[in-house]
Amino acid sequence: MDTIIFDRVSKLFRHRRPVFDWIGQRRRAETRALDQVSFSVGAGRILALLGPNGSGKTTTLKLIATTLLPDAGRVMVEGFDTQKLANQVRKRVGLAMTSERSFFPRLSARENLEFFAALEEVPRKLRGLRIAAILERTGLAKAADTEVMKFSSGMYQKLAIARALIKQPSIVLLDEPTRSLDPGAAAQTWDLVRELPGYGASVLMATHNFEEASAVADEVILLDRGRLSGQCKLSGARPVELRELYFQVIGQKDEFAISA
Amino acid sequence: MRQLAGIADKLAALLKRDLLIGLHYRTGVATTVLGALAELAAFYYLARAVGPGFRPEGINYFAFLLVGTGFYTFLMLSINAFLRVVQEAQQSGTLEVLMTTATSGPTLVFLSAVSAFAGNAAQLAFYFGAGTLLLDSSFPVPRFPAGALVLLLSIGIAAAIGMLAAALQLATQRGSAVLWAFGSGAWFLTGTLFPVAGLPKPLRFVSEVIPLTHCLTGMRLALLQTGQPSLLAHEITILFAFALTLLPLGTITFSYALRRARQQGTLSFY
Repeated sequence: MDTIIFDRVSKLFRHRRPVFDWIGQRRRAETRALDQVSFSVGAGRILALLGPNGSGKTTTLKLIATTLLPDAGRVMVEGFDTQKLANQVRKRVGLAMTSERSFFPRLSARENLEFFAALEEVPRKLRGLRIAAILERTGLAKAADTEVMKFSSGMYQKLAIARALIKQPSIVLLDEPTRSLDPGAAAQTWDLVRELPGYGASVLMATHNFEEASAVADEVILLDRGRLSGQCKLSGARPVELRELYFQVIGQKDEFAISA
Repeated sequence: MRQLAGIADKLAALLKRDLLIGLHYRTGVATTVLGALAELAAFYYLARAVGPGFRPEGINYFAFLLVGTGFYTFLMLSINAFLRVVQEAQQSGTLEVLMTTATSGPTLVFLSAVSAFAGNAAQLAFYFGAGTLLLDSSFPVPRFPAGALVLLLSIGIAAAIGMLAAALQLATQRGSAVLWAFGSGAWFLTGTLFPVAGLPKPLRFVSEVIPLTHCLTGMRLALLQTGQPSLLAHEITILFAFALTLLPLGTITFSYALRRARQQGTLSFY
């Protein structure tokens, strides 16, 4: 069974002049972030979204998390349409974005997680144990009572993953989950992501990292300028093979490979 | 019942968050108290300078100012609380994440504003308490049940206008400028410092259609026992009508603004 269905989804961003910017320059333009994209994610599968900057990876995640709504097509999450039953979708989806600016800096990691757990309707009696377990699993147990304003970029990233998992969602969306992590912490995160299907979760992960995609994903989707350029199953594909496929599909020269 | 327990749980989490953050900014509480005391002193001496002969609506001018400015400030701070919830979430980058949680947007904004209401109510109680100590003449016993009803309806109206302000903030990211303009106009037109009867006729009409005018009049009628009980009943009926109209309007408008922001991709803009 497919848990996520993208059915001919298009998303266009229209840049308008701000209402109160009367003396500003005229800024009218359009960005086609996604153009008729269709794909699906099976239950308990891990799918990696690969593509250059501005290819539509984050837009895809936001459309599933309902922070964006499609202009055309349908996004279905476990049978619920994101446009019509967004509340049902949000109960099932956990989103970890890369931004550091999404926590309350004066609260500790534990206090932040307690706050979000309440909003995510995690039963009160389960919260303490679940937060302790997820802090341990993401390597933040020692910093649990530190104000997050003192966190490094990598710690913020781990906390974002912890927050996404706190409600034990059936769909986990990860936006470049190891971008700011050192190799050891990245490997730990990959282990954690690989465990998620064991709990019944499907994972959709946007990444630029071929090593990450080949280490974690069952399948890869290639996006380029808002269009789906390729999709393939990864059965033990090495990062270098994925890299070759990427540059072949995107139609760019691999400058690193040429210089090497 | 289960739903109510869930809402109470979320409210407790929001109150705890605001309290924990507030504890880091203790000087803010001290400056608010000092500001309120300075304002009271200014009004006290203003009333003395004007003299005992000036009795708007038949009451002591200082008492008139005390209820007018105290309640007006409470209502405007409460309206502003809704806008601030959205504005601070936009600026801190938490809005997008908050809007992906299992709690709906309007519920989240309503509950977030409750803790601000609680703080504002404490400020109002302090203001009235300190002001009463400065009053040098005796007053009739306030009509407390009627006062509580006026307060409740006024909170409903402030919440509705607050939701409209929050919608404006979502749509334009500059809602505070509009709210500031509204606040300045309302301060002048709603009888905060002088009776509405002193305004020219066209402005009196504008004043009548601003709900805050009736909030202030109702509260003065209840606390200072000016005028007949029938006048108070009339004001309560008007407040009820405003609350009944504005509350659904505010909620629907905010939900529409939220959906529009999701459609346009402006949820994370600030």
